Amino acid sequence: MNQVNSAVLDANTGWLILAVFSVIWVYLGWFWGRKEKGLDDFMLAGRNVGLSLGIATAMATWVTSNTTMAAPQLALQLGVWGMLGYSLGSVGLILFAPLAERIRQLMPAGYTSGDFIRLRYGTFAWRVFLVISLFYGIGWLISLGMAGGVLIHALTGIDYQLGMSVILAICVAYTLLGGLRAVIGTDFIQTIIILVGIVILAWLTIDKVGFEPMHQAVLEERPELLNLLMPAAIMFLFNNLLFGVGEIFHSNVWWSRAFAFRKGVGFKAYLSAGIFWMPIPIVAGFIALATPALGLNIPAADMVGPMVAAKLLGFGGAVLVFIVVFSALASSLDSLLAATSDLVLQDIYRGHFRPHAGKDELRKAARWIVLLLGIVTWLLCLPRLTTLASLLYFTGAFVASTIWPIVAGLYLKKASATGATLAMLSGTLVGLWAYFAIGFYVAALVSAVVSMLIVLVSMWLQPDQFDWTLLNEQTGEEVS
Amino acid sequence: MIISSGFLSVMVTVALIVTMVSPVILIILWIKDWVKGQLW
Repeated sequence: MNQVNSAVLDANTGWLILAVFSVIWVYLGWFWGRKEKGLDDFMLAGRNVGLSLGIATAMATWVTSNTTMAAPQLALQLGVWGMLGYSLGSVGLILFAPLAERIRQLMPAGYTSGDFIRLRYGTFAWRVFLVISLFYGIGWLISLGMAGGVLIHALTGIDYQLGMSVILAICVAYTLLGGLRAVIGTDFIQTIIILVGIVILAWLTIDKVGFEPMHQAVLEERPELLNLLMPAAIMFLFNNLLFGVGEIFHSNVWWSRAFAFRKGVGFKAYLSAGIFWMPIPIVAGFIALATPALGLNIPAADMVGPMVAAKLLGFGGAVLVFIVVFSALASSLDSLLAATSDLVLQDIYRGHFRPHAGKDELRKAARWIVLLLGIVTWLLCLPRLTTLASLLYFTGAFVASTIWPIVAGLYLKKASATGATLAMLSGTLVGLWAYFAIGFYVAALVSAVVSMLIVLVSMWLQPDQFDWTLLNEQTGEEVS
Repeated sequence: MIISSGFLSVMVTVALIVTMVSPVILIILWIKDWVKGQLW
């Protein structure tokens, strides 16, 4: 997969684009970070992020390189349902909207999703959750780091290790300089670049190929891609939906933004981001359906997007795709780096080793942790072990098991620590069993169902009476 | 159950319109937040 001969740009152009954008992102990281006032500024951008930046950061983080590259690939493999199924990933963002508002209301002084589990369900559940969340976070980081190297190599022929090192170094540098403020600020610009880029590609595909010839050619060569009753695609749709909900509900990437948004912004930001994100996989994906009409021979399915762009738009199209993919990669990698380092700082360093650490100590430690996490990710990505990236596939079972403990924990006083812990453990184990015994497409579904049943039964057998004020560590004042 | 060319064009056109409008909305909201001093 991804041989040098699939490159749509020469390495010199690739290096030039990487250099220009590296300078921009790192300068902006320094610019936004130069007036940083303290730990809350670094970790949570001052807890005062407005609506425009809020929507953009949620969108940019959820538009990964997977969205821009895998959406055309899925359209080529699973047809119309591939695009529609992928676009249902937005349901997670939409469903998280009320949760974000509730999180901000209940925990005005919170830092991480781990804080919530610790305060709501106690130490043991917190540790189980941390294992799940860090496994997922580091798995995603490795997957994104490797995707960076693989995509840069595939698009430009630049060596995998060099490309991966460069994109990781850039993201570490500006996150280190500007914290979450730099991440959110660059996310806004990256969102605009991604949206404009895919609109141009889609527009020109329609203009140069047209719907009718595209439909006719697909009907003759790959009619199954236009079939709404393609079973594999329908299964993919449900699994993707639940996987996405699990990813968003538990991950500190999304919780840290809920804490960072100004009061009243969380609901509107996540809802709008979900609505705006929904059509992106369709717009990015449908260009793959132009391949039969263009007579393109695709050597690797994941290269279909860049190859169609290069065929239709020549050099300019290839440059555009590279900039879009680079922006999509950076916008997710920086967010994950910041959120995972927050989790390590707050829940491991402070929570387990330095409970009395002051804000100055934590502020310094936060930077060291971003750097260390970057180095660990780089080391794990260096050998390009695809088995490491495939770890992410297992995480569907892990993350889906957290959906119900989090939802019930946020809204129902009766949800108990025992029920939540058992739900996360059993959901994960049974989900993993389903992954191997049945298939990848049921892991998240089985895990979520088992977890839900355990949460419901535990509330019925042994209901808790949780005091919501315990979630507000700062003042203990009445919050609900 | 094969979808028609018309269905495909409507689906993609609607998606394209939303994707075209969203950066415009984001920039308008950014200007509004900036004018009010509420970017962050």
